[in-house]
Amino acid sequence: MIKTENIHFAYAGEGDTPQALKGITTSIAAGEFVAVLGHNGSGKSTLARHLNALLAPSQGVVWINGKDTTSMAHLWEIRQTVGMVFQNPDNQLIATVVEEDVAFGPENLGIPPQQIRETVDEMLGIVGMSEFASAAPHNLSGGQKQRVAIAGVLAMRPSCIVLDEPTAMLDPSGRREVISTIKTLNDEGITIILITHFMEEAAHAKRVIVMHEGEVVLDSDPRGVFSQVETMTRYELAVPPVTALAHMLREAGLDVAGDILTVDEFAADKTIQALLATPHDYPSQASDISISSHANPNQNSNETAPIIQIKALSHIYSQGSVFERTALSDINLNINQGEMVALIGHTGSGKSTLIQHLNGLLKPSMGQVIIQGEDIQVGKSNLKAIRQKVGLVFQYPEHQLFESTIYKDVAFGPTRMGLTEAEIDEHVRQALTTVGLGEEFYEKSPFELSGGQKRRAAIAGVLAMRPSILVLDEPAAGLDPKGRDEILAQIKYMHEVMGLTVILVSHSMDDAARLTDRIVVLNQGKLLYDGTPSKVFAQAEKLTQIGLDIPQMSHLATRLGMLNKAIPQDIFTIEGLASTIMGLSLKDKGIK
Amino acid sequence: MTRITIGQYYPSNSVVHHVDSRVKLAGTMFFITVLFFVNNFAGYGVAALFVLFVVKLAKVPVLFLLRGLRALLFIMVFMVVFNLFMTPGENVLFAVGILRVTTEGLVMAAQMALRLILLIAGSSILTLTTSPIHLTDGIEALLKPLKPLKVPAHDIAMMMTIALRFIPTLAEEMDKIMKAQKARGAELDTGGILKRAKSLLPVLVPLFVSAFKRADELATAMEARCYRGDVDRTRMKIMLITKRDIVATGVVAVFGVLLLLTRLL
Repeated sequence: MIKTENIHFAYAGEGDTPQALKGITTSIAAGEFVAVLGHNGSGKSTLARHLNALLAPSQGVVWINGKDTTSMAHLWEIRQTVGMVFQNPDNQLIATVVEEDVAFGPENLGIPPQQIRETVDEMLGIVGMSEFASAAPHNLSGGQKQRVAIAGVLAMRPSCIVLDEPTAMLDPSGRREVISTIKTLNDEGITIILITHFMEEAAHAKRVIVMHEGEVVLDSDPRGVFSQVETMTRYELAVPPVTALAHMLREAGLDVAGDILTVDEFAADKTIQALLATPHDYPSQASDISISSHANPNQNSNETAPIIQIKALSHIYSQGSVFERTALSDINLNINQGEMVALIGHTGSGKSTLIQHLNGLLKPSMGQVIIQGEDIQVGKSNLKAIRQKVGLVFQYPEHQLFESTIYKDVAFGPTRMGLTEAEIDEHVRQALTTVGLGEEFYEKSPFELSGGQKRRAAIAGVLAMRPSILVLDEPAAGLDPKGRDEILAQIKYMHEVMGLTVILVSHSMDDAARLTDRIVVLNQGKLLYDGTPSKVFAQAEKLTQIGLDIPQMSHLATRLGMLNKAIPQDIFTIEGLASTIMGLSLKDKGIK
Repeated sequence: MTRITIGQYYPSNSVVHHVDSRVKLAGTMFFITVLFFVNNFAGYGVAALFVLFVVKLAKVPVLFLLRGLRALLFIMVFMVVFNLFMTPGENVLFAVGILRVTTEGLVMAAQMALRLILLIAGSSILTLTTSPIHLTDGIEALLKPLKPLKVPAHDIAMMMTIALRFIPTLAEEMDKIMKAQKARGAELDTGGILKRAKSLLPVLVPLFVSAFKRADELATAMEARCYRGDVDRTRMKIMLITKRDIVATGVVAVFGVLLLLTRLL
């Protein structure tokens, strides 16, 4: 139903901007589920915008059901046939009421009112949003907004829907909602083109197209694409963790299938089955999994007082009014000098409220926050000094960049500290070097930078104040795999080399497991768990219940543990599981 | 912010809330117009009774309505004082220097105050009982006949809808940016007016950048959903004039006649 013939496209700009698309020839049949992968700037979104005539190719032709997208006569028919859902759920909802928004498309098409009413009700039902028909969009969660956006597109009765990173700004439960909605639609015969940075999502598709520098470089089923681990890495992409594990084992000489995509497939692999069939008396480390909610796992805490002490902290928004809402209740938490702690919870669990208490942006309704022995008292304490000590990087920090150059923007904080010019210069240079932005960036405007670079410049803006505690709210959200890796590696550096105490707020258990050795889980304003990653991940069922994910490797360890008790249950990294399995295999050979 | 009740919507299930927004809009405009024809206290009395009657019918607490007046207290005091001293008249009650207070001035000031209070109260009833969405629909419908005069009724309504949709989003965003800049040492609420205005730059620049970005993305999303202005467009909700609306129109008309009759007194 969709056919592109050698399409080229370049965005208008100064000088010779590189072509965003360099000759794409592909065709997509009705009813397909295609995932499009590629790092930022690979041309995915540009291609998507060609499919419903938001952009016209500068060379080549796009055919939708045999109609050329450049012909004005068919423009509205094409946009009605190929619907489009965008990344930011806020910026695509037009009306102030959910059902009015869903009606927007059919209204534009001039459908009779009675028929629109029926369509709207039907589509809200399909995406499971019927009970919110008269709600205001700004009161919905990200996942719900995105489902409304999908209903709005569905209401035009398209035969194909293109989704441009629809889950990039959502939390794990929002992502699950959207992906399951997409799968339902595909089952009903609607062609799906899903652009994503999440490899697990792409694994749901029946066909995966990989783009790189404006060209299609791979086009196959998920198995065919993800089995090419080296190629994917070259295109700055990742593969699902379990595929990476299988690849690692193969490299080490184990005869595991190369095209494994899911935990189930891994557990069912012949070689793995054979390996696990023989009993081993491998010492199980996961014997004492006991979690108490107020436990402090750090042993050295008796030597020095914790750098952050939170005592019986509660926060109630709009106290005394009808909108009263308890965001935090009775939180007790100590964090030691030089620790790196992950703070995990779904949207609305109170994470953001908690971190805003650490530098006096919010005032406790009850309880105390003590930073380096000083009790923060909003209105009395020197908040400026506390805010210098506790650097807080908000979600999407690049949205606060405001100066004309990167250098000036990073200098904003140090200037407010009343330093001399030479000191400011030193602070700025060091901060920018830490985040990997060299002198060539100093005089650039923030708008000339890529998403990942902007994010790093904004983090430098906080680092330049030389805080001793760094709090980061979702620092990797919305970045492509390469951008994620870079940011996370730099945070690791700040902790390990610069000795900063780091609090990492995240939805992602994978990131938390990779970087930290202590995880604090919040749920509905209460502290649920506080412990090492292995202890926290052992609570898989409870975590899933409250809308969180556990790392895929944790799932796999549980799964393999059912086959063979020798598999320890406290493993959550690819490397950890690989070495365990290799250990079993070597023992086997030793026996023989 | 929450103290200002002017322009706020007060959700309730009253008869007034259910009257068609076009009728309410036209009724309010009619009320404002006839109020200017009133020339004695009896007239203001009738108008005040009518306002009270509608407020009771709308089940809006009178206190809530009065709080709305507070925001305009300054203008009201200014108008009263101005009229009190500046109205020429013969019956001088007392004089302070060159300022003289006359009976005529006193009457004029009192009437002016009453007129202002009734004006604000009357138009507040409209916004208190009509949700922004219905108000927008009503404005669009009433402006539609002016289309031949090149009044862009649909565009005005669409702009209002989008503004209403994005006010909460942008307010949230502004709060976030303010906090982020405070975390970087910005002091937003200290210093003189000039210093404060300057210190708002780090908030306003990102806010505008984001608003433009949102506008751009929204425009693309609207285009993708086949929006092409007011061309062959239909609406899901049809506005129907019911018996209730006819009764409401009748009540307003009767009130208007009564009010004009007071001129004869």
